[in-house]
Parts: sequence; structure tokens; C-alpha cells
Amino acid sequence: MPPIAQYVFNGLVTGGILALPAIAFSLLWRLLRFPNFAVSTYLTVGAYVALALNHGLRAPIALAWLGALAGTGAVALAVDRIAFRPMRDRRPFSLAIASIGVAFVLENVVRFVWGNDFRSYDVPVTRAMSAAGLRIGRDQMLILGVAVVLMALAQAFLLKSRLGIAMRATADNPLLAAVKGVPTERVIAAATFGGGALAGGAGVFLGFDASIDPLMGAGLIISVFAAAILGGVGSAPGALCGALIVGIVEEAGTMLIPPTYKTAIGFAIILVVLLVRPTGLAGARA
Amino acid sequence: MIAYLIAIAILVGIRALLTLGLNVQWGLTGLVNLGVVAFFAIGAYTSALLAVGGAPLVAAWPAAVALASLAGAALAIVALRLREDYLAIVTLGFSEVLRLFLLNETWLTRGANGVTGIPRPLHARFSGHYDLFYLFLVLAALGVVYFALERVHRAPFGRVLRAIREDETVAAVAGKPVFRFKVQAFALGAGVAGLAGILFAHYLAYVEPNMFLPQESLFVWLALILGGSGNNRGALLGSAVLLGLLEGSRFVKDVIPFLTGVRLAAAQQILVGVVLVVLMIRRPEGLLPEKPGSD
Amino acid sequence: MTTLTRRQLLKASGTAGLVLGAPAILRAQSKEPIPIGTLCPLTGAGGSYGPDMQRAVVAVVERINKAGGINGRPVALFHEDDQTNAEAGVRAARKLIDVNKVVAIVSTWASAVTLAVKPLCVEAKVFLIGVSGADAVTQGDHKGYIARTQPNTNLQGRMYAKFAISKKEWKRVAYVALQTPYAVSFGDAFTGVLKAAGVTITDNFIYEDKKPSYRSEVTRVIATNPDLIMLEGYTPDSVVMAKDLYKAGYKGAILGPTFAINAKFIEGAGGDVAEGIWSMDRAPLFDSPAYKEFSAAVPRGDQSPYAPQAWDQMSLVALALAAGKGEVSGTVIKDNLRAVSNPPGTVVYSFADGAKLLAEGKKINYEGASGSCDFDQIGDILSAPFSVQQVRKGKSEPVMIINP
Repeated sequence: MPPIAQYVFNGLVTGGILALPAIAFSLLWRLLRFPNFAVSTYLTVGAYVALALNHGLRAPIALAWLGALAGTGAVALAVDRIAFRPMRDRRPFSLAIASIGVAFVLENVVRFVWGNDFRSYDVPVTRAMSAAGLRIGRDQMLILGVAVVLMALAQAFLLKSRLGIAMRATADNPLLAAVKGVPTERVIAAATFGGGALAGGAGVFLGFDASIDPLMGAGLIISVFAAAILGGVGSAPGALCGALIVGIVEEAGTMLIPPTYKTAIGFAIILVVLLVRPTGLAGARA
Repeated sequence: MIAYLIAIAILVGIRALLTLGLNVQWGLTGLVNLGVVAFFAIGAYTSALLAVGGAPLVAAWPAAVALASLAGAALAIVALRLREDYLAIVTLGFSEVLRLFLLNETWLTRGANGVTGIPRPLHARFSGHYDLFYLFLVLAALGVVYFALERVHRAPFGRVLRAIREDETVAAVAGKPVFRFKVQAFALGAGVAGLAGILFAHYLAYVEPNMFLPQESLFVWLALILGGSGNNRGALLGSAVLLGLLEGSRFVKDVIPFLTGVRLAAAQQILVGVVLVVLMIRRPEGLLPEKPGSD
Repeated sequence: MTTLTRRQLLKASGTAGLVLGAPAILRAQSKEPIPIGTLCPLTGAGGSYGPDMQRAVVAVVERINKAGGINGRPVALFHEDDQTNAEAGVRAARKLIDVNKVVAIVSTWASAVTLAVKPLCVEAKVFLIGVSGADAVTQGDHKGYIARTQPNTNLQGRMYAKFAISKKEWKRVAYVALQTPYAVSFGDAFTGVLKAAGVTITDNFIYEDKKPSYRSEVTRVIATNPDLIMLEGYTPDSVVMAKDLYKAGYKGAILGPTFAINAKFIEGAGGDVAEGIWSMDRAPLFDSPAYKEFSAAVPRGDQSPYAPQAWDQMSLVALALAAGKGEVSGTVIKDNLRAVSNPPGTVVYSFADGAKLLAEGKKINYEGASGSCDFDQIGDILSAPFSVQQVRKGKSEPVMIINP
């Protein structure tokens, strides 16, 4: 039996990738008061934007990644403008359904342009190094590192910057924040752009680590949901912890249950959390 | 051409039945079930496995409906205490886990191979025009369920469900055991969905797990929202319109030659997504809004 | 339906025989196009395979029509997308059968679709030929209306095992497969033969489709220390698996089906990862004129594992119809399929050559792009040699032939 440490490490990397859309999903849920199912499709969009830059313009992968951040953020903004803004005062259910429709549209636009074939970026694959009995990939370390940095930046932004504070205020109490002069729509725009960028960046990591096809993001929606709920909706550090835990449990779970039931693990986590402690780890306020 | 239309009509009828089931849960009671395909699958597989195993259909069919209802009740008891958006993901996850179960527990479900050779009711009798007979069977089931559900809608049980949908707290204050009613409504809807699944399995004579993907639930929702959620006529209309749109677009490529293959299919699905979004923005009450007086 | 009408008319007019003696209304119909349908996965899980298959069929029909059609009648193709979904496949097949009145449906891919559509075709006497691998496809009472150009999984499993055994250094073997209808039956055949030959099966499991990473599956299988990993999947998941195996430091051998370990795989996984990977498949006749004609007619067609089969399926259907001497129906195809595809007979490699000889009353034996296309009674390909390849310096090179 391989040491459980290997599974834990693998889970950390999976969780690292998962953490970015989970944070976006969690924060946007808090702010806009509905679960936005399109977030996992932003992953797909980001991966393809980077692909277009990497293959079409021969951009090195790092630049393509930055392009994906900007591109996906822009797409998210457009989606918000067109689909969600006219529905600001509606019940969450309607918005959630609309977001499912958006996810469908985005996935199929990608399919319309690029077809169903899977693709890969123009980057070499490297063998893992061995350290302390574990196999650690260079790419994995890179992904984990960048993910952690991004999350630290996001958290710093929310705590320290004016826009970040405004965002939290609007999430807590939109009416009060508006009365106090917080520019609600601008806050929403910033959060949407940021959330889209995070998800898009994660999509590039995913494409890097695995392969790129129109359905790549859709497969993660349950894990993203699980991470957000586990961490407590609205908390960025919560979403990060949630994602790491979901990643580790999913990977380690294959020691006990057949690998084909991996998705079931995410679902089980969701169920357990919702029944036992619905506010999640961070215990968000109502 | 006629045979094709009859076949499409059968599938529309089955979908309409499934949508009626969802309507009991969502339209009547306000419960968000994103995993309605799970009960469709339970009905289909239970009946298929029992029938292929030799059970007479008069036994297999009620057993399958019962199992679907029981599963609905079980899921409801566990999950209905949750908030709307949480209930959505739990029901979605349930349908996905069920599909994985169907796919992997080969000893029971035959796994990815699916169940072939499902016997068709009275096939020998009507072998000349079997599809026509089956259409009548589906329409009969649809008719019976529709009228039964309309009765439920007007009966005290239905009034309580609608009260729960509008405002749970008020209903509870009025002394109604809200939770029990919700479980019953959920189980009833699940049973109707299961019946739709039975008719589906015995028509195709074959079932396999990928017929029950989560996105099938999405199409049922779309039909319900499109037709007018909250009322049964809307459920029927929405199913007919949706499948009509999807099938009709098939003939588009015969007219617009450059839109073929992957592009056409992607375009069709983009259309579905756009219709869904536009509906939610512009006309969330659907084509046949519920009459205000019926409250 | 068309056949029935014609027979009724013939009866009514008092004739019982050939089209030549029939009333004017039938003579006018003799230039009417012959409707044939394709039912490929253009979207859904099989979406990356369908378009190439469809293109191959279109290319064959272009050639047929340019050569004057089948007994003077052009072929009219009707295309439908089955969305890799059984119910959608049934609706599409109903449209092809009832509205377009096709006499054959070619180029189906997913086993689930083929299985769901099978009863419709048998009932309507429409000929169905595809590449689906599940055992149930050719089983049961289908009265000869089904055939497939893909070897059945039991045969495949045994042939792969035969190759594995021939490599004495592979004493510990793991079987890892994608969730498909044939994963288990292939695995049972494969591991069964190996076990009987004294090889240790170190692990045997199935993995889920569409996962972004298979790290934990890889960790698990590497821990059992295999010399060879038999990787039975499709190209997308095989790429991810191969990359994850490489990253995890696996240095042993990998064997997969050639339809997965193809040029797209090498491109996706990269030269370093793909180097040394073995693959096997029923040997396509690379040197055959049929394959050459196919390669020239279908750009990038040789990168598709199924396009050569789709090419052959359409050619076979056309030849079987041509042998029918005027009558056109699924029944004619079923009655003549083996007559045009199996030995004895003059070997032909294209519709044009075959049709010419058929018109002269000669017996032919079509050898295709995907193989020699000889069918047994239930519609399966007869046992055939398999070609073993290995990726060397970025290209998959043939290494040896394994005979049954």
C-alpha cells in the first residue's frame, strides 16, 4: 500500500485547483444571493482562451494564463450584464436556473468554435521528483503555489482594500450598504470580474494538468459546490479549506471505494455537512 | 412519416408524464428537485429487471411505482429540511450517485451494458400496429394521472400543499404537519415520475445508465417552466413545445446546409440555453400562467 | 415500406418479375435516389469520433455517384446526430426510417445507441452496420439485419493476451479500463488467458470517464508493481492516464488499443510520455489499395480509428445493393452482404471495381480499408490477425503481427 501521504499530497493539488472556482462560487453566492452554476463553465472558458492564445498567437503558457484571467473575467462581466442584472430583485431559484442556462450556452459556444476534440497546451510534460517517499510533480508544485498566492491576494483584497470592504458590506446587508453610498453595481462588477478570473485561471491549470474539452468544467460542479458549502458560503478561507478537504477525501477515498464512485464522495460530503453543520467550517452568519 | 410522428408522440407523452410528476413537487408544493431523473430511472430499471427476470408486468409495474415513491419519500425525509438552494444540489447529487450505482453495480443492473430485451406489453396481440397501441397506452396513463392530479389540486391535500408553497410558516402556524405533507407530495411526484420511467423502458425495450444523465432533469424543468409552472396543463404544453422544438430543429439542416454536425448540435443546445435564460428574465410564469383564482 | 409498395403495384399490374417489365410509373422511379442514413455521435461522449466517420461515408458516396450510382441510381445520404444518447438515437433512427425511408443505417458508434436502435431496424427490415463493441449487439434474434466491422471483445481480449504472453519479461500485469459496455468482457477474456499462462494479475479496475486527473487511480496501480499496464480506454482519458503515469514516475510498459493510441494521442500526451507505448488492433491493410484510396479521399482520416470502418461499411452496403440487381431494400443487403464480402471471389478494393464485376455476373470478395471484412453468421468479423505497434520517436510503428 502506498503511504496515505501520497494520496494526501495528490488531494492537495486537486484541492488547490478546486479552490479557485470554489472561492469565486462561494463569494458570489454570498454577494448575489444565488448559487451560480455558470462558475464551473468559466473554468472551461478560461482554458480555451488560454488555448487560443497559446496555439493561435504562440504565447508562452504564462502569458496565455494571464490572458485567460482577463478574458474569463470579461466573459463573466458580460454574462452578469446580460443575464443576471435584469434579475437582481428576483428569487434565488430563478437566478440559479438562469445560471444553468448560461452554463449550457457557454459550453456550447466553446463546442461550436472548437468542436468536441480534446486539446492540449504547447508545454512539455515532466516526470515527478521523489522526495521523502512521495512523488511530487514540478507542475503540481507550480499549480499549488500559484493557487495559494492567488488566494492570499484575494483574501488581502477583501480585508484591506476599499473595494473589498465594500464588497463584504454589500454581501452582509445590501440595502444598508446602498444607503451608505456603496456603489452596489460597481462592487458586483468587480466581484464578478474577479470571480470569473479566478475560475478561468483554474481552468488553465486543469487544462495543463489533464486535457481541454468542452465538458471539462461541468464535471467539477458538484465538487465545487461541496467545497463551498463545507467551507461556509461567503468565506474565502473557508472555501480554500473546503476545497483542500474535498480534494483529499476524494483522492484518499479511492483506497476504500472503487474509483468510479469518486463523484459520490463530493455528494456525500455535501449531505453530511448540510445535515450536521449547515453553516460550514467558517460558520457564516445567516 | 406517420410512424415517425407516432413515435415522437409517444416520447412526448412519456416526458409529459414525467413533467407532471415534477409539477407535484415543484409547481404544487414548491420543492426544488433537480434530480427528478433519478425516479424516472428507478421506475424504468425496477420494472425492466423484474420483467426480464420473469415477473408478469401486472406485478412488475406496481412494484416499480412503489419503489420510486419509497425512494422519493426516503430522499425527502433526509433532505427536505434544507433551504431551497441546498435542496437543489442535494437532489442533483442524489441523481448522479444513483446513475453511478446503475453503472457500477453490474451484478444487479448489468452496468454499462444496460438491460436488453425488455418485454413489451401485449406485443403479440398488436404486432401489426404496435406503436399505435403503445401511444394509446401512454395517452391513457397520461389522462388518468392528469385527472387524478387535478383532483388532488382541488382537494384539501392540494390546498395545503399550495399553502406550504406560498408560505410555510403560515401553514405551520395553522397547525398543519408541514413536513409530513412535503414528504407525501415528494413521494407522489416520484411515483408519477417512476410510472413515466416504466413506460419509457418498455417502449424502448432497452435501458442503460446514460439515458438518465442529470441534464435530463434540466430538460424536464425547462418544459415545466416553459409551459407554465404550477399547473398541469402547462406541464403538458411545455413538454410538447420543447420536444417539438428539438425535433423540429433536426429538419433545419436539411434546409440550411452549412450548419451541420457538431455545429448544428451545439447551436441547438445554445438555443435551449438562451430560451431558458430569456424565459427566466422575461416570462418566468411561462406560456400558461397559473390562474390567480385557483389559489 | 418502399419494397412493399412496389410489390403491391407489381401484383396489381399482373406482373411478378423484374423492373424492366413493370409499368411506366416504376420505370420512372428507376433513377430515384437510394436513401441511406448515417447515425453518428456528433455531440456527447462520442462526439470526437462521429464527424470523421460521417466524412468517410460522404466520401464513398461521392465516388459511388460519380461512378454512375448503384445500378444507375444515385445514393442520397441523410445524416443524423445521435448525441451519444440512446433515446436521441431512437428518435433520429425513427426519422431516418419513417421519413427518409432509408434502406440502411451505417456508421453507428455507441453500443447503447446501436442496442436501442436495433429492434427498430429489425422490425422495419432496415440494415444496420456500425462499430459498436458490446457483445449484445450481435446476439439475439436479429434475422441478419445487423453486422459490425469491429472485432468482438472476447476475440480482442484473447489476442491482446496472446501478445502479452509472448513478452516473457511481463510477469505482472494490471488491467485498467474506462467504463464502457465492453470493459468487463474484454478484461475477463484478457486476464483469463494471462492467468492460465501463469502471469500474475496485480490489479484490475475500472475508472470513471471525464475526470480531469487520475492521480489516485495511478497511485493505486503503481503500488501493485506491474511490469505491464493494459490501458483500455479512449484517446482523451488515455492521454490523461498516460501523463499521470509518467508524472508519477512509472517506468514499466503500457499497452492499449490502437484506436486510442493514435496520432491524436501522441500529440496530446507528448513525445516523451508516448514513447514506448504499445498498441494493438485488428490489422488494417495499410498496403491495400482500399486503405490508400481511403487515405487520399478523407483528409486526416487515418487519424481516426473508425473512419476506415465507416468507409468499408458504406462500400459494403453499396456492393450488396448492387448485387441485388434492381431491387433495393434492407433485406437485399442482408441477403447479399456475405456474398460480396466473404471469399471465394475476385478480390476487389473499391465499389467501382466491385460493381463492374457484379454487372458481369462475377462473384467478388471485398477487402476494405479497415480489414478483410469477412462476416460470420451473426454479423461479427471473422477472426483476423492483429497488428502490434509501438510508439518510437513520436510515431506509432508496426512491429509484429499476431495471428489467431
